[in-house]
Amino acid sequence: MFSARAIARILLAITISYGTSLFAADSEFNIDSYKGQVVYVDFWASWCAPCRESFPWLKTIQQAYGARDFTVIAINVDEDHQLAEDFLKEFKPSFPIVFDPKGKLAEKFGVEGMPTSFIIDRTGKTRFSHPGFRLSDRDGLEAKIRSLLPPQ
Amino acid sequence: MLHRQRKYRVVYACLALLLVSSCSIGVKPWERDLLAKPAMQLDAYPIDSALDDHIYFSKEASSGGRGFGGGGCGCN
Amino acid sequence: MQLKKMDTTLRLQLALASCALIATPSAFSATSLYDETSANKPLQVDSGVLFYQESGGRVQVIEPVVDVKKDFGDDRSLTTKLIFDTLSGGSPNGAIPSKSVQTFATPSGSSLQPSAGSPSNTGTTKENERSVVALKALTYTTASGQVISTPNASTTGGGETSERAHGGPYTVQPGQLPLDPSFQDERVAVSTSWQQPISAADKLSVGGAFSTETDFRSLSINSGLSHDFNHKNTTLSAGINLEHDSILPVGGAPVPLSDYTLFQKTSDQSKNVVDGLIGITQVFNRHWLSALNYSIDKSSGYQNDPYKILSALDRDGNIISYVYENRPDSRQRKSIYWENKFAFPHDVFDISYRYMSDDWGIHSTTVDARYRLELGRQFFVEPHARIYHQTGADFFRLYLTEGDPFVAYASADPRLAEFDGKTFGVKVGYSPSRTQEFTIRIEQYTQTGNAPAEVPTQLQGLDLFPGLKALIVQAGFRFEF
Repeated sequence: MFSARAIARILLAITISYGTSLFAADSEFNIDSYKGQVVYVDFWASWCAPCRESFPWLKTIQQAYGARDFTVIAINVDEDHQLAEDFLKEFKPSFPIVFDPKGKLAEKFGVEGMPTSFIIDRTGKTRFSHPGFRLSDRDGLEAKIRSLLPPQ
Repeated sequence: MLHRQRKYRVVYACLALLLVSSCSIGVKPWERDLLAKPAMQLDAYPIDSALDDHIYFSKEASSGGRGFGGGGCGCN
Repeated sequence: MQLKKMDTTLRLQLALASCALIATPSAFSATSLYDETSANKPLQVDSGVLFYQESGGRVQVIEPVVDVKKDFGDDRSLTTKLIFDTLSGGSPNGAIPSKSVQTFATPSGSSLQPSAGSPSNTGTTKENERSVVALKALTYTTASGQVISTPNASTTGGGETSERAHGGPYTVQPGQLPLDPSFQDERVAVSTSWQQPISAADKLSVGGAFSTETDFRSLSINSGLSHDFNHKNTTLSAGINLEHDSILPVGGAPVPLSDYTLFQKTSDQSKNVVDGLIGITQVFNRHWLSALNYSIDKSSGYQNDPYKILSALDRDGNIISYVYENRPDSRQRKSIYWENKFAFPHDVFDISYRYMSDDWGIHSTTVDARYRLELGRQFFVEPHARIYHQTGADFFRLYLTEGDPFVAYASADPRLAEFDGKTFGVKVGYSPSRTQEFTIRIEQYTQTGNAPAEVPTQLQGLDLFPGLKALIVQAGFRFEF
């Protein structure tokens, strides 16, 4: 039926696409697919203590503004995936989670400290970056999000 | 005199090199998972070390030396 | 009994900080519905209790500690610690063992009832004579060749001793290390510390501490500053501690080098200590953290132990008298400390080295290592070893000998002798939840020293430096409240 060379080529194609899709799964986060929405990108980890405070707030703003072309995307940088899963089980977020265990996205976005958030406007342009998270930051961050949302 | 100055210049150069090279040593902010572990903090058990300090202060001629700061998750 | 204060090294839990953004409140924001104020943040409580027991009827300590930390948000916190300790048992009084019975008067306030077998104060038994009436004057030869002698009690009768004894005498059997059995006291110590960021990369802490016991009071203030750079991979730190101690010995501070039986006393004493530290902490890689610190401390004032004496002997080793010790009125110490911590996927290895040298001629090295072996998610076991060596102080003397050149300073306090210290132990921990942890550690601390090679005839066969063996047990519990 198929020659040995053909089988080899098919296997090679499968391996390459599987391999790259593996990498793609955790580093190929296409921000362009979110154009039209205001996106709050949050880089977090299970070992980051302030993230335990930010997650309840992220859930609240997702709920408050999710219907207005807004979404939170939380990018996890844990090298130990199980720890990230334990954290998610505890906080049960309602927004999408992206896994970046090798830190490729963190590198691309230029994360300078943990946690770091980026607020991206509807054209896909990064408008604000915010290192760290404290409860006193919430009102300021929310004002920035609102400034980018379409008027109600 | 000159000899002593030369020696210090080398020391200063080494210290400067150490500080400058430390700028490239380290980890990225997202690679601090192990450093964030409570057991990896410099004074992971302050009660234990305070009690030990008391014992050794009472029975030996030396005390202290331990410092503070650094390491950890690097958050905020 | 004078207890040494707990060493006030600067211990800060420094959370790393960046600038606090000025919040712009928004009238209809979802966040203004929050109830997550700092008032709802749990308190972090760390508590423990230490049992310390030396073998041979020596010192016993029970020391509970509780430490409470309140987080005020924005990386600001207040930590308060309370320590209580109760000390009992016997502590060496500085005299060496003898082939004959020795009798000493206790200087502390707690009076002892002499046991039926011990010599009475007013009697003229042989033992009594040797310890009080028969003591000769201690003679010294100064550098210029002049022979001087200290006054002694040879002209006073046994009866006067009991008035000055501040409690009954205690007897030490032949061959035994003289221990003052009234080494009994309680101490309370409180310390507090406030930490906050002062810029994106800098943290500040300020604190104070106070401790009090029957014959000693200490008050101190401290401050520390740390600066992070290189993406928080490098941290520079500096700290200072200022302390004032009041030494109020029971019965008064003795005249240094005076004959013990005369109970010549002076007023209360004090000393001041200034402590400075600089350090650098470096993250080398994901697994390795290293810290290097240099510290200096200078203590000025009364350095003596007011209860410690030395045996004064003749050339053959017979006891002539006992004299109070004397130390210089200042002490400066420098030390360098290097610690490395290594993280394996689950385990942690910690090893540190400290070198200390002071102007009393003492230098010491300490190597401390521990390996934390994680057993599943909730248990760990951590073996620990500490090896210590110190040289003796220039003025350390096991005993004084008649006719020897005059010495301005002399002390037989074992803490100032040359010795090796070894600690071996293990700690076990159990963590039922993320915010709770129980720990227990059991360790043994041994001090071994060397007696001098040549001893006079009356001291031969005696163990002049028996060292120390102690059991350390500590239980701990951390939780949120």
